[in-house]
Amino acid sequence: MGLSALTWALLALLTPLGAALVIAVVVPLRRRGTPATWLSIAAVVVSFIAAIQLFSSQLADPHQLMLSTLDWLPSATGTMARIGIRLDGISIPMLLVLTTVAMCVQVFSLGYMADEPAPARGRYYGYHSLFVFGMGVLVLAPNMLELFIGWELVGLTSYLLIGFYYQKQSAARAAIKAFWVTKFADIGLVLGIILLFATTGQFGWNVALPPAWAAPITLLMFLGVMGKSAQFPLHIWLPNAMEGPTPVSALLHAATMVAAGVYMVVRANPLFAQSPTTLTAMAWIGGFTALFAAIVAVVQTDIKRVLAYSTCSQFGYMICALGAGSVMGGFFHLTTHAFFKALLFLGAGSVIHAVHSNELEHMGGLGGRMKLTSAVFIIAALALAGVPGFAGFFSKDLVLEAVQEKGLWLPFAALMIAAFLTAFYIGRVVFLAFFGKSSKHAEHAHEGGMAMALPMLLLAAGSVGAGWFGSSLARVYGLEYEFHFTPTGMGASALGLLGIGLAWWQYGRATRSEAFDFLAPIGELARSGAVDRFFEIGYRRGLLVLSSGIGWFDRYVVDGVINFSGWLTIMAGRRLKRFQTGNVQDYVFAVIAGAVVLAAWGLFR
Amino acid sequence: MMATHPYLLLAAALFSVGIYGVLSRRNAVGILISVELMANAVNINLVAFSRAQGTALGQVFMLFSIGITVAEVVVGLALVILLYRSRQDVLVDEANELSG
Repeated sequence: MGLSALTWALLALLTPLGAALVIAVVVPLRRRGTPATWLSIAAVVVSFIAAIQLFSSQLADPHQLMLSTLDWLPSATGTMARIGIRLDGISIPMLLVLTTVAMCVQVFSLGYMADEPAPARGRYYGYHSLFVFGMGVLVLAPNMLELFIGWELVGLTSYLLIGFYYQKQSAARAAIKAFWVTKFADIGLVLGIILLFATTGQFGWNVALPPAWAAPITLLMFLGVMGKSAQFPLHIWLPNAMEGPTPVSALLHAATMVAAGVYMVVRANPLFAQSPTTLTAMAWIGGFTALFAAIVAVVQTDIKRVLAYSTCSQFGYMICALGAGSVMGGFFHLTTHAFFKALLFLGAGSVIHAVHSNELEHMGGLGGRMKLTSAVFIIAALALAGVPGFAGFFSKDLVLEAVQEKGLWLPFAALMIAAFLTAFYIGRVVFLAFFGKSSKHAEHAHEGGMAMALPMLLLAAGSVGAGWFGSSLARVYGLEYEFHFTPTGMGASALGLLGIGLAWWQYGRATRSEAFDFLAPIGELARSGAVDRFFEIGYRRGLLVLSSGIGWFDRYVVDGVINFSGWLTIMAGRRLKRFQTGNVQDYVFAVIAGAVVLAAWGLFR
Repeated sequence: MMATHPYLLLAAALFSVGIYGVLSRRNAVGILISVELMANAVNINLVAFSRAQGTALGQVFMLFSIGITVAEVVVGLALVILLYRSRQDVLVDEANELSG
């Protein structure tokens, strides 16, 4: 069609906003649920079509960049910031990933949320539309300030959707925890953006930072990334975020919202590349998170928590790749991960829908009853494990190579071990859930219908196919990339296959070996929430003490000054009101006295 | 011809008596009379200066001034009558509240 790129972009951005506003404002629509559902899905389909249009035109002409902005925040010395849309090789692929996964998840939710009361469904879809808009703002932002607005919008929708079952105390607490942790991290991002503006006078990312400020600014921004993309030690909110409905976990807490952190580093890479310190820190934190989260994932008993820690771990890979300077590696893994992790979550959602439980031990033997779900789940698991031919293999390979080339040996070793563990824990989930003896919960399990099947099939196609598009993606991004077999990639794949084999040996056979009993104490430790405890102490001992100190200062010093000046005014008023006697003669006397004084002044001056 | 300053002294004395009356009288009628004294002191000044300058301009002003003073006294007395009607007395230091 002959519409311009800007029109398509605005269509992709504003249709979900319109849907969100209509659902929010027109109460009967929301209360009845179904109209809101279809409105939201129609909006995201429009966004999806627009994203495809943009992507195909970008494929045709990889180097095009469209920047369309309006003046915003006028100030005495000209415009402080501009607002608008930036379409290029980074934002368009991300927009496509966003709208694809969002569309799949919203359609999937038709089946998954069918048992919810109608008003709850209306609310659910309203949040979803708002999320697509917020994420669109983040993705298409031409500067850090607008990106930050999108960043907070998705943070808000994340809070709302985690707390979707707000009657459940654990869900409400999880929502607050997620909000609290990410806001703490956002302080870093805000300070980083303020310092960026203070030192360079603009909010863009294509600026040279003063050398002395490069490390502080980018490290502060990276703190925001750690919160959003769940990097150790700020990953604690993500496992709790699994309290939200499973499709929400697939969209927000696996594929797109948590990816915002990585996306920002990719987007603002010209800034991050200016500080080797930050890059090194990113590589180490990413590597550590990848390993740590993979270890914790091995001992989880809740299928969604395995996937949540897996998400942390995979984001560790991306951050590590970005730290090694490989933007392509990080971004490519982000794209493929979005597909297969969303698919894993939707598969898990399908299973949970059928079994009515998150616990792995309540599943088992589902392969026979849910053929489609188990098939797509296994595809996604193979992609996650990095088995050659599936999407994860290509991108993980690129990440590992990049880290190896930089000579970051310890992070590299962590990633390699994590690759093995990844295959092991996802293999464990597959064998426990889909093979073996079925528990009594799983006896009546069945597929959830077309609305749940179709999105999974689409994402399965992505999980297999996305890896083959690495070179197209690189071309859109303006880079050269050709896949080739390397010892590193082969090694990682071998480790992955070994991990799957080990998982089969332990969990796939009829008898369990006792060799893995040592995992039990680790599981206890992981569930005890040691990192949470650390934050709790920091909160009780540090923040609360500081807050009460500030509270005292506010109550007695700040308020004291105010109260004193108020008291002074009242006292002065009481004294001064004696002058207003209401007696005419007093006033006349004052007038005459004034006249005499003026006359005297005139005479003796 | 007599010098001007005896007239001015007379006027100043009259004005001062008027001020004293305005400040010290409790009775509204007394205050009005005192105001009249002050106005007439001004009139004497006008006539005295008119004579010193040898023109009739000051005398014309004095006639105007008398006329306006009469109007002012009418308004003032009307106020005094209203005051009497609402309070049954004409003591200004008692009438020190707007709401009455």
